[in-house]
Amino acid sequence: MKKLLSALLAAAMLCTSAIAFSGCGEDSAKITTADDLIGKSIGVQLGTTGDIYATDEYEKQGSKIERYNKGADAIVALTSGKIDAVIIDNEPAKAFVEANDGLKILDEPFAKEDYAICVAKDNEKLLNDINKTLAELKQDGTLDSIMKNYIGDDTKGKSPYKTPDGTEYPNGELHMATNAFFEPYEYYDGDQIVGIDAMTAQAICDKLGYKLVIDDMDFDAIVTAVQTGKADFGMAGMTVTDERLQTINFTDSYTTATQVIIVNK
Amino acid sequence: MQDFFSEISSSFEKTFITDDRWLQLLNGLGVTVQITIFAALIGLVLGFLIAVIRSTHDMTVQGKKCRNFSDFILKFLNFLCNIYITIIRGTPVVIQLMIMYFIVFASSRNGIFAAILSFGINSGAYVAEIVRSGIMSIDKGQFEASRSLGFNYSSTMIHIILPQAFKNILPALGNEFIVLVKETSVAGYVALQDLTYVGNLIRSRTYEAFFPLITVALIYLIIVLILTFLLKKLERRLRNSDH
Repeated sequence: MKKLLSALLAAAMLCTSAIAFSGCGEDSAKITTADDLIGKSIGVQLGTTGDIYATDEYEKQGSKIERYNKGADAIVALTSGKIDAVIIDNEPAKAFVEANDGLKILDEPFAKEDYAICVAKDNEKLLNDINKTLAELKQDGTLDSIMKNYIGDDTKGKSPYKTPDGTEYPNGELHMATNAFFEPYEYYDGDQIVGIDAMTAQAICDKLGYKLVIDDMDFDAIVTAVQTGKADFGMAGMTVTDERLQTINFTDSYTTATQVIIVNK
Repeated sequence: MQDFFSEISSSFEKTFITDDRWLQLLNGLGVTVQITIFAALIGLVLGFLIAVIRSTHDMTVQGKKCRNFSDFILKFLNFLCNIYITIIRGTPVVIQLMIMYFIVFASSRNGIFAAILSFGINSGAYVAEIVRSGIMSIDKGQFEASRSLGFNYSSTMIHIILPQAFKNILPALGNEFIVLVKETSVAGYVALQDLTYVGNLIRSRTYEAFFPLITVALIYLIIVLILTFLLKKLERRLRNSDH
């Protein structure tokens, strides 16, 4: 019994120390173009287009994809050298790089994507309502001023959206599913969720006469939440993809974005 | 009706067949098992060590003045063990895992190692208290009898007390390991591809909740069933010596 125990112990220690050091000393040569990502470990946020893109493009070529629950966790892992690069949407990327001196964005944007609001397949009415309201908001410049309030150094914070006086909510509540770790689209300012998506949703709900309730959840839970009716619509810098269209409807696009690569300087 | 079945078979196919997702589930299972086994070993070793220190302290020097250097060492070790147990039992395992991954092993690329260590250290605190309860449950007469037969303290502990204690605490230890298996499901927080994580990954690709969640739940259940079976066998085996 004693011999068996000590043998087990020795084996356990050997194994643990073997795994502990196997990862060390990896030479992370500089990444300057997208091609350099091959064979490197790439951090993404689970279920985002960055994740899908990295998986399709690089995983088969031997890159290791590390999927975090939050984009910010991937950034932390990048700054401490656990991973070599992070693929994420350009606007949050700017916010992250601004907050971390040691990071930079590669000048090599991927293809353009359309952000849209997702609505359950059987909720045609809400889909049409939102589309109509979105068109109105585009026309009267509200969407543009919300966008400018969050993007662009000289316009930031100058045109916050305000609910028009006397707005009433006779139609009850609309629940919006989001993942509020995605500055400038949705993020916490104090205990409030603000950002382009949050304000646009507020504007839409004000027009439609619903009270907006924002439910913060993991990004990969949003589509399921909307599909099963736990939330009425999902808005989280969400790109329209063919896979997503199979299970859910998207409204017209309200803005475009690109995926970018963040690396250590 | 036909629609219903074709829907089920298509979501089954999406969950398991497309992109070899069953293989990913299998890999996830491997990671979960790997973390659990090594963490349980670390937990056992730590737990037994700490329990012996704590109960030795309680039985010999507690409430007394230090007579010599070894008494002082024992008091100091007991103090350290108390701090360890307080901190580990007082904080959630997810937080400990993230501290281990993002702070302690910030520069290491090996997430599995950080996970094994933090789950092992976490389990150790609970095992320590279980083992201590086992040691304390052994009648004092056993100590006295053993000492009067000429055994010294450590061989009394190893040959007389611990084997009996082990038998008493086996159900509680089994409980702890079952909890440990399920606790590893938070490993996805640090991008480890364990079973739960693979379930989430599949969910994030198929946007279907039913098959991934139910499958993952069933696999955990099966692991726990196997563990329960083995523990029962061990318990029966150990009980043979009762007669």
